[in-house]
Amino acid sequence: MSLIFYVFGALLVLSALGVVLLKNVFHSAIALVMALALVAGIFVMLGADFLGASQILVYVGGIMIIMLFVIMLSQQPVEALQRQVNEQWLLAMILSIAIGAGLAEGFKKYFAYHFKSPGLMPTSVSIGRLLLGEMIVPFEAVSLALLAALVGAVLFSQEQKDK
Amino acid sequence: MFFKEDIVPQGADRWIHWLAPVAACAPAFICFAPVPFGRDIVPVDLDTGVLFILAISGLSVIGILMGGWGSGNKYSMLGGVRAAAQLVSYEIPRVLSVVPILMLYGTQNLRLITMAQQARWFNFFPKWFVFYPVIGQISFLIFLICSVAETNRTPFDIPEAESELVAGFHTEFSGLKFAFFFLAEYAYVFLASAMAAALFFGGGDGLWVRGGIIPSWLWFLAKTSVLVFVFLWFRWTYPRLRVDRLMQFCWKFLLPWSFINIALTGAWVLVH
Repeated sequence: MSLIFYVFGALLVLSALGVVLLKNVFHSAIALVMALALVAGIFVMLGADFLGASQILVYVGGIMIIMLFVIMLSQQPVEALQRQVNEQWLLAMILSIAIGAGLAEGFKKYFAYHFKSPGLMPTSVSIGRLLLGEMIVPFEAVSLALLAALVGAVLFSQEQKDK
Repeated sequence: MFFKEDIVPQGADRWIHWLAPVAACAPAFICFAPVPFGRDIVPVDLDTGVLFILAISGLSVIGILMGGWGSGNKYSMLGGVRAAAQLVSYEIPRVLSVVPILMLYGTQNLRLITMAQQARWFNFFPKWFVFYPVIGQISFLIFLICSVAETNRTPFDIPEAESELVAGFHTEFSGLKFAFFFLAEYAYVFLASAMAAALFFGGGDGLWVRGGIIPSWLWFLAKTSVLVFVFLWFRWTYPRLRVDRLMQFCWKFLLPWSFINIALTGAWVLVH
């Protein structure tokens, strides 16, 4: 189990690096697909089977396909190369490593007491109970916000058509 | 097909071109894991079976997109773009058409769904989901239409429309790579039929007598084969839809009806 975890983790880091470092936008997008799918695999290993399946359904099967679609529509294969770094790359790297290390420390401190592995248990029933019971207000608020975003996107695209 | 020359065009992106058939083919076979092929014959008894199949089968589009982009060919590119638009759109009513089943039986486990359908109305008529008045039929029709669209079969095969796009996304693929694309496509036809058999036709349930002489896996395969036949029947019967009509049909007809169907199912569940 831990061997699979480390393989997944190493592949995840590699593909995440690929997203940022690869020269071709399409290659980066494919690396991002891989990274998101691996995250879903890690979710499943942590016992969150429903979350893993939704991650693949929403991110890999939905959002990434739209992103690839946009890349295909907007760029010629030859022109898809672009510069990956500018003058501030060193500073940015130091900053992001610092933030990452800080987050890791914080998580370690917090979860040392609370986290214990739930084992492989079906989670969809309890997720449903939580979403429509205890968490109904945040759930409805999020869906309202998403609906507002959807209506806003339609409105903006309509306005641009008029000009 | 094994001995045909593998041609990679000069303008192609070698890696993407090589990976595309793999990315299209691999998910097709992972999807068969939670399919209940008969009573007690389930490869993996997943709690999130339906969601798992719907999620993983969406991954193959990425293979098609990679094929379309990596070939460095205008026709392939157009085929890939059409595939993305079509498959993402039709996935939504397809998922929504399964929702009434999940509402009625209260589980996503395909095995439990087939078990729940093995009852009888008035002691002789099979209580399969497709025979539930109105909701069953609407649900099944939407699922069937969307499955045909998701598997790129003919009335909806605009990603590879040969009269417009040569062969769409797989124009530049030859030999075994081409074979892999087609293997994936027919695996999906079989998967969609198997899913429909499990979700709407009671899986391995016999037609009149429960647990008769004919074993459940034979019933399941028979139902699946009939549905595969229906898919091929569509192919030779209907003309291809135009791109814009195809999208309108999805968003303005299938989607509202699947929402209405979910509301109807909610009413049914409330009454019973």
